[in-house]
Amino acid sequence: MALVTGTSTPPPVEFPRSAPQAPPRRGRRFGRLGPNIVLIAFAIFFIAPLVSMTRFALQKVPMPLLHWDTIFDRWSLSALTDAFKEPSFGKTLLLSLRLAVGTVVVTLALLLPTALFVHLKLPKARPIVEFLTVLPYVVPPIALVAGVAAFFRPNARWFLNSNYSLIPFYVVMALPFTYRSLDAGIKAIDVRTLVDASRSLGATWPSTLRRVLLPNLSSSIVSSAFLTTAVVLGEFTIARTLSKQTFPVFSFDYFGRKAQGGIALALFTLVGSTALLGFFTLLTRGKARRRQVNRF
Amino acid sequence: MSDLTFSTVRKTFGQNVALEGLDLEVRDGELISLLGPSGCGKTTALRIAAGFERADSGRVMVAGNDITNQPPHKRNMGMVFQSYSLFPNLTVAGNVEYGLRTRGISKPERQRRVTEMLELVQLGPMANRYAHQISGGQQQRVALARALAIRPQVLLLDEPLSALDAKVRATLRDEIRRIQTELGITTLFVTHDQEEALAISDRVGVMSNGHLEQLGEPTEVYRHPSSAFVARFVGSMNELPAFVRGPDAVAIGDYVVATPAVGMREVGAPVLFLVRPEDMSLGASDAKGLPGSVTARTFQGAATIVSVRLDGSDTLVSVHVAGSAAAHLAPGDRVNVVMDGTRGVCEAGVAA
Repeated sequence: MALVTGTSTPPPVEFPRSAPQAPPRRGRRFGRLGPNIVLIAFAIFFIAPLVSMTRFALQKVPMPLLHWDTIFDRWSLSALTDAFKEPSFGKTLLLSLRLAVGTVVVTLALLLPTALFVHLKLPKARPIVEFLTVLPYVVPPIALVAGVAAFFRPNARWFLNSNYSLIPFYVVMALPFTYRSLDAGIKAIDVRTLVDASRSLGATWPSTLRRVLLPNLSSSIVSSAFLTTAVVLGEFTIARTLSKQTFPVFSFDYFGRKAQGGIALALFTLVGSTALLGFFTLLTRGKARRRQVNRF
Repeated sequence: MSDLTFSTVRKTFGQNVALEGLDLEVRDGELISLLGPSGCGKTTALRIAAGFERADSGRVMVAGNDITNQPPHKRNMGMVFQSYSLFPNLTVAGNVEYGLRTRGISKPERQRRVTEMLELVQLGPMANRYAHQISGGQQQRVALARALAIRPQVLLLDEPLSALDAKVRATLRDEIRRIQTELGITTLFVTHDQEEALAISDRVGVMSNGHLEQLGEPTEVYRHPSSAFVARFVGSMNELPAFVRGPDAVAIGDYVVATPAVGMREVGAPVLFLVRPEDMSLGASDAKGLPGSVTARTFQGAATIVSVRLDGSDTLVSVHVAGSAAAHLAPGDRVNVVMDGTRGVCEAGVAA
């Protein structure tokens, strides 16, 4: 009988009513101070050059006079608007944007199937592919372009003559960023099961890609596209070596002629890229939020 | 008719043999569970049926048609996966509708079938939610509705309950069986959970090392296991060192147990005799049987499990005692273990 009694519902476990004791004050204070110092150090590291750059670009004050007491003096966008009026500005910016679009398309067309194939069919090859994608880090752009140009000049000069010959170089330059971004997106969803589920429901591979994979990888595709664009808008060495008039080359030349205008253009590129990133982030977040709202 | 047949299907992954010539027929409207430990080949068999893996040799047929070389999207099979497989970008209704869209079914018909399927799995009010807004059990029910919406010839279930907690698992298990029976759909269910397999199957196939050890009705597999592996894997077993006493008897020490499991073994051969805890009972200390001392008693509601250490050995046996008959027993009490050997299994053993 004692056994039966023993199996009746046990009394609820009593939890202490008082709030858990606060950790010692000294430790907490130290805990806050550490991260704050790191945060401030990082802020200075990032913000100081930006502030200096902005002041140099947009204040009509001679550089030796750029002190704290002149911080509100003679702000003007004229250095930037003068740069905009340069005949090459629009042309080179348009070319760079076209190159960016082309690079994004080629990168996604090559890397998305590769990353999916490696995940689904050749998981053992992943370390090799990852290694290959970081190679652009260790091969300097100048070495890359010199080698490729040496091969193409005698064999296919027409290729190097075209402005769009930069696209393959940019695809390679952007590889470390784009592959990682796509790879992270693929890892975040159970690609194999989703593909199997889609296929078992009668979808072909292209249909599975369009209806399941692309919508669920949209964030990583967007961030991959953004990183590619950022690489294209900032790449100078290859374009200069191949004598292409891209936006970074124009900016550099313009800087040689008008230092303030050149820095203003660099600032313009930076703000433009950041705005683009913000726009894409809002776009993907907004989409997710709309989805949540629709659910209820 | 939509029976599913495997004919001497073999599959290897490198040096590992996943399936060693599997022969299996899932009859029209029948639910067969493939049960076995990890790596026994049960999931490979299922994936070959679905078309995700290609068999090295052998054939897979559905309703008499050879589908061995057909790609997955051309096989009319519904599948529910072990991991949550709902498309995150689609609502519950969108998921159920997915297979109907790929088949080019008209919108009114799609909507009708989605409603019908969601009602079948009792998730009508959840139609506009997304996967992350519903529980794991609900996700698997949606996956089931999605698989059934395409009216498949065969339903394949790849451990669909293993990610769920015990209570949801039991409920969904019964629901799967109810729906399967209601629709009369031919179903192959893969699991490593013997309780699940025994509870919902028409027949259970126990697999080991790429081949089917035994295929039979749940009671048959449990009551008359064809091998020591099946006996051990399905339910629990007491293992007692014994020797063959005659054509129909084994002896454990001086205690002789009548059993048909001796087979062709010679008299005196050492064996390991396997008996289920419910085929054992406890007698008084002066009765005939194997004497021992109670070491523990576990009350389980309808029955009590009594652990007994047999005298003169380290052998520990578990005895199921129905009701409260064992309530008076305490550790250290002397008892005699008596057994019914008619459902025992013999395995070659070493001399004690």
